[in-house]
Amino acid sequence: MKLAKYLKPYWIFAILAPLTMIGEVFIDLMQPKLMSKIVNDGVIGKDLALILTTGITMLVLVAIGGCFGALSAAFGSNAAQRMCNDLRNDTFKKVMGLSLQQTDKFTTGSLVTRLTNDINAVQDITSMILRMFVRAPMQFFGGIIMAVTISPKFGLVLLAALPLQILLVIFMLKKATPLYSVVQTKLDRVNSVVQENVSGARVVKAYVREEHEIDRFNNANTELRDINLKVQKLMATLSPILMLIMNGSVIAILLIGGQECEAAIGNIGGLLVGDVMAAINYITQILMSMMMVSMMFQSLTRASASAKRVIEVLESDAVISDGKGVETNERGNVKFDNVSFRYPNSAGRPVLNNINLDIKKGEVIAVIGATGSGKSSLVNLIPRFYDADEGSISVDGVDVRDYKLDTLRRKIAIVLQKTELFSGTVADNIRWGHTDATDEEVKKAAEIAQADDFISSFSDGYNTIIAEKGASLSGGQKQRIAIARAIIRRPEILIFDDSTSALDLGTEARLHKALRENISDTTIIMIAQRIASIRSCDRIAVIENGTITAFAPHDELMKTSAAYRDIYSSQMQNQNPN
Amino acid sequence: MAENKNTNPPVVNMRPGGGRGGPPGAMVREKPKNLKATLSKLTKYIGRSKYLLLGLLIFVIVIAILNLAGPALQAEAISAMTIDHEGAHVDFDKLYNVIIMMASVYILSSLFTYLQGVTAAKLSQYTVSTMRADLFRKISYLPIRYTDTHRHGDIMSRMTNDVENISNSISQSIASLFSAVITLIGSFIMMIYYSPLLTLVAMVTIPLTLFVSTQLSKFMRKYFVAQQTILGQLNGHIEEAVTGYKTVMAYSKEPDSIREFSRIAAEYRKVGIKANIWGGIMGPCMNMIGNLGYLLVASAGGYLALTGGLGIDAIQAVLQYSKQFTRPINEIANQYAQILTAIAGAERVFEIMETNPEPNDGKNPITVDDIKGDIHFSNMYFSYNEGEPVLKGFDLDVKRGQKIALVGATGSGKTTVVNLLTRFYDIDSGEITIDGININDMPKQTLRHAIAIVLQDTVLFSDTIEANIRYGRLDASDEDVKRAAAMANADTFIERLPDGYKTVLSESGSDLSQGQRQLLAIARAVLANPKILILDEATSSVDTRTEMHIQSAMVKLMENRTSLIIAHRLSTIRDADCIVVLDGGQIAEAGSHEELLAKKGAYYRLYQNQYAGFAT
Repeated sequence: MKLAKYLKPYWIFAILAPLTMIGEVFIDLMQPKLMSKIVNDGVIGKDLALILTTGITMLVLVAIGGCFGALSAAFGSNAAQRMCNDLRNDTFKKVMGLSLQQTDKFTTGSLVTRLTNDINAVQDITSMILRMFVRAPMQFFGGIIMAVTISPKFGLVLLAALPLQILLVIFMLKKATPLYSVVQTKLDRVNSVVQENVSGARVVKAYVREEHEIDRFNNANTELRDINLKVQKLMATLSPILMLIMNGSVIAILLIGGQECEAAIGNIGGLLVGDVMAAINYITQILMSMMMVSMMFQSLTRASASAKRVIEVLESDAVISDGKGVETNERGNVKFDNVSFRYPNSAGRPVLNNINLDIKKGEVIAVIGATGSGKSSLVNLIPRFYDADEGSISVDGVDVRDYKLDTLRRKIAIVLQKTELFSGTVADNIRWGHTDATDEEVKKAAEIAQADDFISSFSDGYNTIIAEKGASLSGGQKQRIAIARAIIRRPEILIFDDSTSALDLGTEARLHKALRENISDTTIIMIAQRIASIRSCDRIAVIENGTITAFAPHDELMKTSAAYRDIYSSQMQNQNPN
Repeated sequence: MAENKNTNPPVVNMRPGGGRGGPPGAMVREKPKNLKATLSKLTKYIGRSKYLLLGLLIFVIVIAILNLAGPALQAEAISAMTIDHEGAHVDFDKLYNVIIMMASVYILSSLFTYLQGVTAAKLSQYTVSTMRADLFRKISYLPIRYTDTHRHGDIMSRMTNDVENISNSISQSIASLFSAVITLIGSFIMMIYYSPLLTLVAMVTIPLTLFVSTQLSKFMRKYFVAQQTILGQLNGHIEEAVTGYKTVMAYSKEPDSIREFSRIAAEYRKVGIKANIWGGIMGPCMNMIGNLGYLLVASAGGYLALTGGLGIDAIQAVLQYSKQFTRPINEIANQYAQILTAIAGAERVFEIMETNPEPNDGKNPITVDDIKGDIHFSNMYFSYNEGEPVLKGFDLDVKRGQKIALVGATGSGKTTVVNLLTRFYDIDSGEITIDGININDMPKQTLRHAIAIVLQDTVLFSDTIEANIRYGRLDASDEDVKRAAAMANADTFIERLPDGYKTVLSESGSDLSQGQRQLLAIARAVLANPKILILDEATSSVDTRTEMHIQSAMVKLMENRTSLIIAHRLSTIRDADCIVVLDGGQIAEAGSHEELLAKKGAYYRLYQNQYAGFAT
């Protein structure tokens, strides 16, 4: 288990837990002996004083055993909780350091499960291993020893019963383990159908496909039920068979016990009734421990799947990591030098091909092009969300790969296509871009982003709580809050990744004006669909199939770029009222 | 397990990790609000599998009785080999007889345990799958308002976690509860049979058991509840940080996020350790009390034996039964907690079950083929939340085959018109008629079959591309699907995919670009061949050149159909028969592109904004 190293700092707890458990089991093992003494010597011997003294000894021992047990629980949970706290922190840190291509591969849903359910499963199994995996073998071997000391013949019974049981348990586990993973797959399927239907309810209803979806669900549901039943039926056979073997042993003990008792007549030191009872108790303990182990192995197989998933995260090293760290005095310059890029793990043609761009401080640059032409990929390379395959991108004269990621990303603010707001107030969300910002700065940023009007119209204004990632806000409102968040950061380079799409043109025009007036020395790179939004930009890059075919101001592009004229006419249809 | 040191086989299937016996109260996350009502509803559900339930109960009772016979038979066996006076011999005849009886009891017991296990599994799986299916059917027919206003994660968790909890309870709790009760009563009767006096002694520890366990669980519950709350916070933080990771990354917020995470995690650890320590004390305490009881019975028994009142076999039997007696008490306490959790889950499940489905009261026998597509909106008022009207007296007349565009600022009510026409929501006052029939009088299926809708947020299912397009018309042939894809200009990119139309889309559909997803949604609408077509910002994620390419397809698609187009990109809608400008829930003006421009009103200003606003 690769996760064992996480237990190291807490080795004291990890060792004390089983040690104290040994104490508890040891005392547990003494109990049947003492009880048999009560019966043999006390009850049969009619010696009340002996019953009392033995009984009190037993009680004291049980109390001590109980203390050991409680201690063991305390140590075990300390070890497990502390270990998994570290594990959790490390995994989270790891996730926070992953590159996008890695989070894309894992998918966010699965990362969340790994961080929550899977780590909890590891925690549970750790504390169980620390205590039960010691308890069971102790009880097992201790029981055997005790039984044999009562009479070696009882050992023979065990010799017959145990291998049978062990084989049985192994056989069942072998059969059940693969079934459990099938159960998981079927469960995932059921969940994904539900997920799709809940989030796609409008489409399902609009096409009157409720019955179709119910059929789809019922198939998945029935499959899940059947496989679950199969596993449970299989497991239902285990415990009766184990019981049968156990009870068979009890009968055997009684038979042997009868013979021994008869032989013991007049023979001091022979077997007594109490001994037979004690032997039965030990056998029961041994077999119970067997059942416990088999149950634990089941949990272990399931937990090891979880552990594997956590380790997978821990072992993936960030593909994109800090550079050596450099200082530069330039501000706001971006240069693409022969850049080519394809998405990792995608076989297709490159998304970007031989890109050359030179953007100077304070310029307002637009990127326009068809869906899938590579606009987003282009700007994703600047803050190193991905790394270029060939060529280099430099910011302020320094290759982006030489910066510390933090230094690089502090120069840049990017407003993403998909707006992510976090729980908190509107002000919190804006201030997120710059934690120390004053209320005035927050308001100013919102004004530039054209968000002040609607925020002020909320009854709680800037203190309005954003619930459920902004479900109560319209797309345009969310985008404007995200824009304010970027502006307040006072970046050298401000990137809009198609993040004004939900704004109507009037609002967008005012946004552009405000940007020009307020942060004129910030370099702005904007991806947009609408020529009207970008025609006033200093220069416009036209991107087609991953290549920049033209890079010039609007008027010049109208003369030189056929693609641009195409886009223009598609939007204006030669009806420009001017 | 200390409680199981008796010679009797455990009846209950051991749960993994249940070895130490989860502390009672450990699992209680919340208490059900209306225990009785929920319980009776749940009973009705389980009652659907009457025979399985009946079978389960019979098996449980048989097993419990067989198990009760165990100590009695063992006592017999012990008495057969007891040599308590000079010259006595082991009574082998008696011993063999007893052993034969024991063997048959044990075999029967194993057999019935197996039957019980299988029955319990069947009962729980069938109940749960029926419940899931019912729940899903229910959710499918819930009004859109429900899914719009409830967190999807919450609905999901009812479907999975809550139903799962109910399932566990049914298979485990019912059986163990019954067996516990029967064992309790049975042991009691048997003890009384052997010795009423010793029974009384054995009862002494019961109040103690109850007292200690309730006191301890009070403490524990406090920590376990705290633990659950903090776990919720932790998960919330993870969810937010991971789904918004790109933003976190763009703002270099990773260290902050990690710091916050560590803080919550540390708190979780602290509470968790405390909760577990309290939980760990429970077992030993119960063990102590059990042994105390044993000692009391043994001492009293010894005394009785001494005074000659009772035989050794009877004492042995009472000792065994007294141990059986404490076990069910613990078990009931454990099950109680689990059952409460399950009932709380059931309550949430029933809450959905009892939500009113979409009303479907239309009786008009009109068929889809009869619908021509004349739509009349008259004096519509509507608000999502009371007091915040979104539409205020919306009036519009649309002739069949017309192409109507709705434009206006965000929040002006464009999408609401669509929500009302499709009856995703119902109007507060006013009416919508199609071909003169009030849409409230039409069966919803007929209404919606007549309409196809393409939304801004495309919904694709994790299935093949082909199946996603075929969603528009389930009986469409492969040729039809391909033709529809071609009409929507989606065929080129589909054919370029390695598996073509058979390409399976991943759950999130992230392997396609937003524009490509949109093309698939359009193809789906093409295939549906509706009388009325609604495009709600359908092409806003597609760039204008691609849109131009689709345009010809769209023109074809819109021919002979009534079309409603919502767009903020005015180029999309220029050639609409009528452009309706919405402002604050009312129609500001309406007319053709040229008319509206000439009017120099709201549309003119929008248009200026869009095309001239940047010219300066």
